[in-house]
Amino acid sequence: MTVAPTSAAFRELRLRQFRNFAELDLRLPPAGVAIIGDNGAGKTNLLEALYYLEIFRSFRGAPDERLVRFGEDGFFARAAVDGASGASEVAVGFERRGRRKRVSVNGAPPERLGDALGSVGAVVFSPSDVALVAGSPAERRRFLDIVLSLNRPGYLPALQRYRHALRNRNALLRTGASPALLLAWESGLLESGGRVMAMRAEWALLAGAGFSRRYEAISQGQSARLAYAPSVPQAGELVDAAQAAELLRGALARVAVRERDRGVTLVGPHRDDLALLVHRAGEDRDLRDYGSGGQQRTAAIALRMVEAETIRQARGREPVVLLDDVFAELDPGRSRRILELLEEEEPGQAILTAPKQSDLEVRRGSLPHWRIEDGKVLA
Amino acid sequence: MPLIDDLTAELARLPGIGRKTALRLTYHLLKRPADEVRRLARALESVAERVRPCTVCGNLTEQQPCALCGNPRRDPTLICVVEESSDIGAIERTGEYRGLYHVLGGRLSPLEGIGPDELNLRSLLPRLGGADAGTGATAGAPGVIREVIVATNPSVEGEATAVYLQQLVRPLGVRVTRLARGLPVGGDLEYADGVTIAEALAGRREL
Ligand SMILES: Nc1ncnc2c1ncn2[C@@H]1O[C@H](COP(=O)(O)OP(=O)(O)OP(=O)(O)O)[C@@H](O)[C@H]1O
Ligand SMILES: [Mg+2]
Ligand SMILES: [Zn+2]
Repeated sequence: MTVAPTSAAFRELRLRQFRNFAELDLRLPPAGVAIIGDNGAGKTNLLEALYYLEIFRSFRGAPDERLVRFGEDGFFARAAVDGASGASEVAVGFERRGRRKRVSVNGAPPERLGDALGSVGAVVFSPSDVALVAGSPAERRRFLDIVLSLNRPGYLPALQRYRHALRNRNALLRTGASPALLLAWESGLLESGGRVMAMRAEWALLAGAGFSRRYEAISQGQSARLAYAPSVPQAGELVDAAQAAELLRGALARVAVRERDRGVTLVGPHRDDLALLVHRAGEDRDLRDYGSGGQQRTAAIALRMVEAETIRQARGREPVVLLDDVFAELDPGRSRRILELLEEEEPGQAILTAPKQSDLEVRRGSLPHWRIEDGKVLA
Repeated sequence: MPLIDDLTAELARLPGIGRKTALRLTYHLLKRPADEVRRLARALESVAERVRPCTVCGNLTEQQPCALCGNPRRDPTLICVVEESSDIGAIERTGEYRGLYHVLGGRLSPLEGIGPDELNLRSLLPRLGGADAGTGATAGAPGVIREVIVATNPSVEGEATAVYLQQLVRPLGVRVTRLARGLPVGGDLEYADGVTIAEALAGRREL
């Protein structure tokens, strides 16, 4: 029996026809590596491939077809990892024809794709994370859904059931079905929706303090906070699925007439948000509307650190941090403090990228430096 | 060759059979002795002609009513509602259930356009002594049925169908129960093993 290590790590990576990598075989050092290359060299592509093996889709939101190298029929990615169950091998192949995706863990397909999710334990920090703060509530729901699916047993099945029940209920509302039929679909919606809301609320309560502490450390004393903003009033304060379901029942009853007019379900987890707030002039204000670019980036980084914390607590292991050129556009003081914080709090494997050597001088001077050029890594 | 193409096209309409498999089956059949192929054709013809839904319970059968409905040793006070005829076999194999059945022929699925009218519900209420949804006439032997066990699949659709049935049946004063959880969620009853189904039956609860 292998003992699970205290740090997660990618040990080896093999890519075939993934983005601009025709063939890539890498051995990754346990402490990590700094990868330097020009714009368009493939830095983000490499991190995208690594994290693909965690969630089996692109963290950039790209459809699988787009990950296939131009002119090829499919891609293949495989990593040897120290992860959730000790050493293992995660692989995925995708064929453009028939859009077939085959995932395997230690050579065998998992019973459900959900079983293979998060088998490493990794977090990506990317410049596009600013959308977590500045973007629509859908961005933050996606964040919540990924963090909880990977770290809370039962979340993903509840979410899938909720979405399925919701689509059916919306179909009924569109066609003006009888109250008896609507009621029949409500029980599945309430049961799964209650579980989703309760797990979101519990996570936000736990994560709140960590978010504020990190935001403050990076911004030198400015304060911000995170709170669950459910579409169902009061559901943010509860941690019990049955109570959350009852609140949802009440909220649905209150909008029943409007729902019949509009033909869609108007309240529920699909309308939730995560509030990211700063205190300004005596009031809590939304960072989305009032934050500067730098403040929004800071909040996004704090959120990712909270994600890392969630992984650490859920699995008792240090997550891998994948840092994609995150210090671009931040003032030098902030960059340095983020770095210090990461060095302090994320002792696990770190794989980071930057376009210029100088961007990495201040960071983890101890990591080996590799160059990347046009889809080739020069170790 | 149009005849070969016709057969391939027909086979390809079957669930789980793509064009390639259909072709392979066609050429396989062409290589078999003509007698064997005729036997298959006759078997298909006979089921098409003689197998019908039972007029009482909806189970697929060659006789009316079906062997289960016609069996005097079955407990006439219990009705187990299932989605498909094939689910009956799964429950029968447990040997734990002695009552009657009612086959819906599907489950509610608004996304696929399946509502109550698409299911075999019309004939259920008269069996329970309620009014026929269409004619308003009552039939059957009112008061005989003590309990309706809803054994739809544990999918979101199956659960919704169960709740809908409960709303229909409850006003008639008949007890409505649901199989206990423990069946694989999203799994089909048809594929669950006997022990699991027997446990789910024993642990059924009031809806
Ligand atoms: N499916 C694909 N097949 C081949 N090449 C691709 C594919 N998708 C993207 N590319 C190429 O990959 C390159 C971009 O790689 P990537 O986004 O990793 O760059 P980067 O090194 O992160 O650059 P930057 O520093 O600007 O962020 C582009 O040249 C793009 O044309
Ligand atoms: Mg990039
Ligand atoms: Zn019958």
